[in-house]
Order: sequence, then C-alpha cells, then structure tokens
Amino acid sequence: MTGAIYDRGYRPYDGAVGGRFSAQSALFRLSVRRALGWRRSWRQKVAPLALLAVVTVPAIVNVGIVYLSGGASDTSIEIITYRDYVGISSALLLFVALTAPDIMCPDRRQRVLPLIFARPLTGADYVIAKVLAMTALVFGFSFIPQMVLFLGQMLVSADGALRYARDNAEVLWQVPVAITALAVFYSVIALAISSLTGRRIIAGSCIGGLFLITSAVSGIIAANSATVLSREVPPEQLFGGGVDRVPLAGEPGSNENPFEERFIVYDPTPAPLINLAGLPLTVRDLVFLGQIDEDTPMSGLDNGGLFTIVVYLAIVSGSFTMLFLRYRQVDP
Amino acid sequence: MLTGPLLRTAGVTKNYPGVVAVEDLTLEVPRGVVGLVGANGAGKTTLFRMMLGLSRPNQGTLEICGIDVAADPVGARGRIGYMPEHDCLPLDQSAADIVASFGELSGLRPRAARQRASDMLDLVGLDEARFRPVGGFSTGMRQRTKLAQALVADPELVLLDEPTAGLDPSGRDEMLTLVARLGTFDISVLLATHLLDDVQRVCDHVVMLDGGHLVIAGSTESLLEGSGRLAVDVGTDRAPLLALLAQRALVAIESAGLVEVQIEGDADVDAVRDAVAELGLPLHRMSTRLTSLDDVFLAEARPT
Repeated sequence: MTGAIYDRGYRPYDGAVGGRFSAQSALFRLSVRRALGWRRSWRQKVAPLALLAVVTVPAIVNVGIVYLSGGASDTSIEIITYRDYVGISSALLLFVALTAPDIMCPDRRQRVLPLIFARPLTGADYVIAKVLAMTALVFGFSFIPQMVLFLGQMLVSADGALRYARDNAEVLWQVPVAITALAVFYSVIALAISSLTGRRIIAGSCIGGLFLITSAVSGIIAANSATVLSREVPPEQLFGGGVDRVPLAGEPGSNENPFEERFIVYDPTPAPLINLAGLPLTVRDLVFLGQIDEDTPMSGLDNGGLFTIVVYLAIVSGSFTMLFLRYRQVDP
Repeated sequence: MLTGPLLRTAGVTKNYPGVVAVEDLTLEVPRGVVGLVGANGAGKTTLFRMMLGLSRPNQGTLEICGIDVAADPVGARGRIGYMPEHDCLPLDQSAADIVASFGELSGLRPRAARQRASDMLDLVGLDEARFRPVGGFSTGMRQRTKLAQALVADPELVLLDEPTAGLDPSGRDEMLTLVARLGTFDISVLLATHLLDDVQRVCDHVVMLDGGHLVIAGSTESLLEGSGRLAVDVGTDRAPLLALLAQRALVAIESAGLVEVQIEGDADVDAVRDAVAELGLPLHRMSTRLTSLDDVFLAEARPT
C-alpha cells in the first residue's frame, strides 16, 4: 500500500461574510467565551464557576429551609429577599474584578488589538461589544441565583406554584431591571479601568481598590453625620435621615443590656453616592421601593432619587467616554 | 480575475510629532506580489496603518482595491488580511482557536470560520500542531499562524509586515515559498521588508521608500534589467580608459585593479569594448555583474 500527500492548495471562500454587526457579535461571543473559560484550561473555569456557586448558596439554603418546613407560608421564612439578593456581595465584586481585566487586558498586553482592528469593525464597535459581553456576564452572574430562588420558592410553596408566582409577579420586572442597572454600572467602570493597563493583576487591584476606597470614604462621611441615640429617644421624633437599628452585642465590660437596641440616626447626606460599589444598590431601591430606602443615610434628602439617577448616569457616561477615547484611533 | 490597481495614493503625507513618516507619496501599484522596501523608519508600517484605516493621513488620498480608505475604512479592511511584524497572538490559545476567532471577527459564521481555519493551517503547514497552544510554538510556527489568520477570510490583499523576521534560513525559505504561492491563488500581496533578497525572490513589483519618500517603483524585472556594472580588466593602464569613458558620458570608477562601468544596456557594453580597442589596451577580461535590488536601492536612494 502506498501513501500519497495531497496538496489541497487554496480554496477561495464563497460563503456569506457579515459586516460590522457580525464582527461585533463575534467579539461579544469570544469575550464571553474567554471570561467563562471555554476552550481554555480547567484553571480558567474554576473562578467563575466557584463564584457563581457561592452567590447561589443563599438561594438554595432559602429554598431548602422553606422545603424542610413543609413549604409553609412563603413570606414567613425569608432568609433573603429578592431586593437584598440584587446586591453587593464580595463574590460579585470579585467576579467583576477578575472578569473585566480578563476580557480587556490581554488584547492590549498580547498586542492583539492591531489584528482585531484590521477586521471590519471600529473602536466604538469594540467598546460596545466588550461592554455588552461584560454586562451579560454580570447580569447572568446576578440573575441565575435569583432564578434559582424564584423557581425554587415557587416549587416548594405550600400555596402552590402559580399562587406564588402571582403574589410575587412584580419581582419579575423589578429584578431584571435592577440587575441590568447594576450590571451596566459595574461593567463600564471595570472595563474603563481595565482599558488603562495591559496587566490583569493591576486592573483587578485597581477595580477592587476603587470599590473599597469609595466605600470607606462614603462610610466615613456618613458616620460624621450620624448620631447614636439610646432607646429612650424615639427615632420617629427626628426629622429626615436614615435610622439603623443596631442590637448591642453585649460587649465585654459593658453594663448595657445586650438586648437593648440603640439607634444610629443619620442627617440626610448624599455621601452614599460616592460609594461606587453601593450606588447601584440605591438605584435598586428606587426600582423596588420607588424611593430611597429609609434605612440609608440618603433618606430624607431632597430629590435624593433624582440625584442618584443623575450621578449614576454621569458615571456610566463618563466611563463610556473614557472607553471610546481609549479606542478612538480606529474610528472613521 | 480582479482588475484595477491594488493601491493608489495621491500626495499622501503623514506627520507624527517631530517626524514626517510619509511625505507626498504618490504611486500606483498593480495587483500581484509587491515588495515594499525600505530601511527601518522608511514609512512602511505607517503606510500599512493608513491602508488599514488605523491611521489617517494628514494630506492626500489612498485607495485600496478601488476603495477610498478615508471614506470607507471598514469596507477597505474587509478586503485586507494583515500580518503584523510583532508578536500579536494570544499565547494561551490553540492555533485553530485563534485563526477561527479571527475568521469570526472578519464576518465568517462560526462553523465556516472553523473550517477555514483548518484549511488555512493546512495551507501554512500547521495541520499537525493546530490544537497546541501557540505559547509553545517556535518563531516560524507563530509566523505561519499569523499568516493563516491573515488569510482566513479570503482577502483580496494581504499585508505582510516583515514575515521573515526572526526566522532561520530554512524557515525563511519556507515562508517565502508560501508568499510566492499566494500570488498563484489570485491573492495580492504587499510584502514590507528591509531584506531586498526576499523581494527579489518573490515579488513581481517593487516599491522602494526611504525616509518617507518614494525612491522608485516598478516591476522587479524592469528595475533589474538594463542596468548593472561591467568589470573591465585592462591591466595597469587604466587612466586613459577612464578618461575616454568619461568623455563618452559613461560613469566609470577604478576598483580593485579593475575599471567598473555603470551600464544601462547592451549599447553601453559595446561602447566600452570599442573604447578599449580604440586605445589599443589589452583586454584581459570583461564581465557583467548582475544588479541586485540592493544596487538599485543604493543608487536611487542615495545618489552620488
């Protein structure tokens, strides 16, 4: 038997070729795939899946407890609410700080950008595809646990699945809207920071640092506007501001009754808007409650809701502008 | 068969702060395998960037395959495959994934992109290694991967920026063979290099740049033909011959005991022979030296 080597030569391509939208969609797909570790080593898959598992645990626990309690009243056993679940968690911030640099920095560091921009897309297309990819990832990361919670609660509810769905119908729009607001916000900020460097570790540290620092600064400013009152002064007598009820922990050496509550009363302050990790949560409250949560230092602030939306939009626009400027060279 | 010029520029100038990268470049390049020659800093990469629409000229217009790049940079990029000089591959991905990804970015559907990636990696000789991460590739294999991604979307024109850089002699030979083959597939090639031997070997047209200026452009054959040097050995009595040749408007110098004459064709050879006979000098040897593109470049870029 004799072998043969065939030179198949070059075959021209006569299939469909898309334009900018097609290139943009491809960049979106490739970015999502990269972030989730598809077609990459198992090490790249561990972080996103582990973090997703971590954020899903509260939903599973909540559903499990309701189930074990015989599915009794869906509202009496509520470890976590849908509103609280659209929220800040270390796992979510860690996911953002890991993922945004991973889909942005290697293009710059490995000098892939010239190859990407030699394709039929513009700098704006690149930015939009990356932002959409990151937003989709953060949305999925936040939405999957909510789905587990909702579907689980629905299935174990003693009142029946349909009844549960009907009673909680409002979360079917509140959750996606609030998560979208949160996902867009975190994504554009994280990508804007990641666009400044080619090193993932630096970008990730900067993202985490920015969230931590703004959170700390906001907390310090809010604390300066806070007054700690004893139980004897009813907080209702105070005008405006938020009220945190803090049970005393029975600190060693304290003569205070550990079961007594003390109240931290805030003068209305916009300080929480400085907190980049927390700002989307104020937007979330606007979606769920229609107003600023009464337990936050912004409560009672004139036009607090409007102010929150303006700051949110300003930060999102600023981050977008930064991204567009960063990749403007290839725009027509 | 595609017609019309590959590249047409009119008065293209590109300035960077303190540097004129390209100045008043006007040329028309036919389809085929074309060499873009020049030393480092000659303006080759800048011209590529302007052709891709990644950089806009300060003045002038530039057309690729009949498309005005300023008016439709995305359309122009859709016709072009680009292989940069520098490392530009994600090292943690396999060659197949990289080439398929760039196929998708060029507008191919995912399945078609994977099929084309497979074909192109076969073409460049990486069929065995296609599923290995590029980080473990040799320089030659990375260059081939870069070539494969440039070809994946079946471009009309591929821009190759120093494709033989860093390759050993056999790798260079294989790469040049591949480049020469592209011309037979009806794909035009613009090969930027400072290695004139590479151009002489595979290109049928040459554009020479120096310091952002056009030195000369033409078919390789025409640049090499009709010019060269004639080495004449007439013993020690060379001065009279030099004087007579100068009278007859032939450029001649004394070099290593020989008289070297710049010739432009057979008539000049005859004129030299006649001059030697007229002076009654002994003619020990008369031979032509093949002109290389180096000679053309040196003669045109830095005329004495």
